Amino acid sequence: MGAMVALAGAAALPFLELRANRLVPGTAHSVAAAGPWSYLLWLLVGVGFLSAVAPTEKARAASSTASGYGIVIALAWGIGHAAVTLLAGEPPAARVSLGAGVWVLLAGTAILGFSGSEERRRKVVRWLAPLVLVAGAVVAAFVWGGLDRISLAREFSVRADSFWTLLGGHLAMSGVGLGFGLLFGVPLGLWATRNRHVRGVVLGVTGVIQTVPSLALLGLLIAPLAALSQAVPALRALGVRGIGATPGLIALTLYALLPIVRNTYVGLAEVDPGVIDAGRGMGMSSWQLLWRVEFPLALPLIVEGVRTAAVLLIGITTLTVFAGARNLGILIFEGLGQFAPDLILLGALPIIVLAIVADVALSALGRALTPEGVRA
Amino acid sequence: MIRLEDVTRRYGDATAVDSLSLEVAEGEVCVLIGPSGCGKTTTLRMINRLIEPTSGRILVDGRDILSMPAEELRRGLGYVIQSIGLFPHLDVAANICVVPRLLGWEKARMAKRVDELLALVGLDPASYRDKYPRQLSGGEAQRVGVARALAADPPVLLMDEPFGAVDPLNRERLQSEFARIQRELRKTVIFVTHDIDEAIRLADKIAIMRDGKLQQFDTPEEVLNHPANKFVHDFVGSDRALKRLVRVRVADVMRSPATVLADANTLSLREAAGRRRFAYVVQPDGRLLGWLDTHGLAEGAPAADAMTIMDVAEASVRPDDSLRDALSRMLGLGFRAIAVTDRHGVLLGEVTFAAVEEAMTEGDEHISNQPVEDAE
Repeated sequence: MGAMVALAGAAALPFLELRANRLVPGTAHSVAAAGPWSYLLWLLVGVGFLSAVAPTEKARAASSTASGYGIVIALAWGIGHAAVTLLAGEPPAARVSLGAGVWVLLAGTAILGFSGSEERRRKVVRWLAPLVLVAGAVVAAFVWGGLDRISLAREFSVRADSFWTLLGGHLAMSGVGLGFGLLFGVPLGLWATRNRHVRGVVLGVTGVIQTVPSLALLGLLIAPLAALSQAVPALRALGVRGIGATPGLIALTLYALLPIVRNTYVGLAEVDPGVIDAGRGMGMSSWQLLWRVEFPLALPLIVEGVRTAAVLLIGITTLTVFAGARNLGILIFEGLGQFAPDLILLGALPIIVLAIVADVALSALGRALTPEGVRA
Repeated sequence: MIRLEDVTRRYGDATAVDSLSLEVAEGEVCVLIGPSGCGKTTTLRMINRLIEPTSGRILVDGRDILSMPAEELRRGLGYVIQSIGLFPHLDVAANICVVPRLLGWEKARMAKRVDELLALVGLDPASYRDKYPRQLSGGEAQRVGVARALAADPPVLLMDEPFGAVDPLNRERLQSEFARIQRELRKTVIFVTHDIDEAIRLADKIAIMRDGKLQQFDTPEEVLNHPANKFVHDFVGSDRALKRLVRVRVADVMRSPATVLADANTLSLREAAGRRRFAYVVQPDGRLLGWLDTHGLAEGAPAADAMTIMDVAEASVRPDDSLRDALSRMLGLGFRAIAVTDRHGVLLGEVTFAAVEEAMTEGDEHISNQPVEDAE
């Protein structure tokens, strides 16, 4: 399956695009532009096909893994080679952009990589070691292989300073929003388990917030915050303004609430009533019951809610740019404004990576926090 | 030890418990029984203040339970419930130590207590202390539940249908084990059940309730022989003679049988059997192998050749079993006597049909109130 996608991408779609400058459309080039690397790519796609027909589970896993990681490395060096060859003799404004073929090839590779057995990914060392190897090879392609010549890398080098600031801003914004979401969400979820009326209101309101479009919510927050900042100088001194980080943070906090509140509520409500009765009957106080029994049992679900919220917030943070926040969203919207696809990518790719990392890391945290006695 | 004075509990217009007065002496097992909704569980839960009485007083060891904090009261009353309510995230040892931890015991003392209690409830400490509740069968889990209730050696045990969720075979074993533990520990026990056989078997006093009102409060013998009203009469059922047998333990009426060693030859064997026609054949270590009919024996053959081999587990009872179990086995096998063995299959005695008949017709002389030395 993965190999099919990779083959289709490599064979049928344009691999690279040579353009006179960063904005105009250009001419498409096929995989052949990668020169000797193209043969290695075909070979690795072939190995990927082997994974479908290999006789043993072990051989299937080995071939899909080898071709998956191999394709990424060959691609990095092949693109670098092609960029250097295509740009030779062109004016400095000329750009080499990645074509649809590269993305489809990468998607196919991802499928190949993930189709390796579940067992393998459980062991951190087993998947971390090849990952480091691949990352090293890609970095090497940047430094020595000409990968730094492609348009995406050029966009990055122009904005290297602001890129890291914006990435930091993105992380800070999502992180603080998530932090506030936890700060309010967990107590609200807890309160909802203790009081039926609160449950209706809290779950209802957080659910409604989720349905408000993000841009509309930001827009709605700007005017009242501006008025508040005018009226209360102390808040203004703290940096609360109609435009800036404040409306974005409030919106992010509100969006984080639903998954966190709901999972906290469900996690606590699902604790076996017999367990609670036994705990109370043995003389545990409400606090002891909460800390020693209810929270440990609800924790995996709460972390699951935090994971959902984190992935959601990393995406929505992009939009807070419209209310004046500074983060990776700026690159995307500037790219959209300039019709510069590679600038959009420079903003979007790190966001995708951040979301995946948050997802994987919080899943792992959830597993680690699951008490041994209740692990499936 | 426990005294209820005119205790009433109302829910709106409904009266769950209606001016109930009871007194349970130290070391007695008082079984509260009645149909669903009769108020038996409400009564139990009022004793450890999981439910507060609407009016009336409850005294434990002479103290009004409202005079001490609910948590402190509960830590002094062992609590066992039908759903067991083991904490799924804690191992068996930690589950048993819930109350000792609340009371701030030292680690070494808790570890020692865990091993003592597991041994007491018939679970091997080494293989059970580190298990998690999900790794236990229903019967094992309830044993741990009982061990947990006994952890801090409370003088009182409150048990709410403790064996209600266990399959019938395991229920009987748990009942006889509970009876054994109770003979040893002499706790004051309030035991809720809807199973009249269980009540008759375990109770020193039975309190039969209906619609929140006490119908009769007396010894099982009195309840069987002189039901206070038609409700009690019907509730106890028409098989009262059989139920009396539940009160008599095999150990109370068994006699020593004729036995011969497996390697004895038939000459000495007939002497050993004396005037009795049937004899049990045992190994030198006392384990039962089979039985033989001394009539029509060929001269000189060893007993092992002449005997009828028996399935000891099937065709014997334990000293702690009730006479009704013994009768049921005899009827099932078509025997007029049944062997009594310990759990290793060592022959301890036999119970004859005549002894059962005697117990059924005679009064209560068969029931010994002294703890019988355990054969095991």
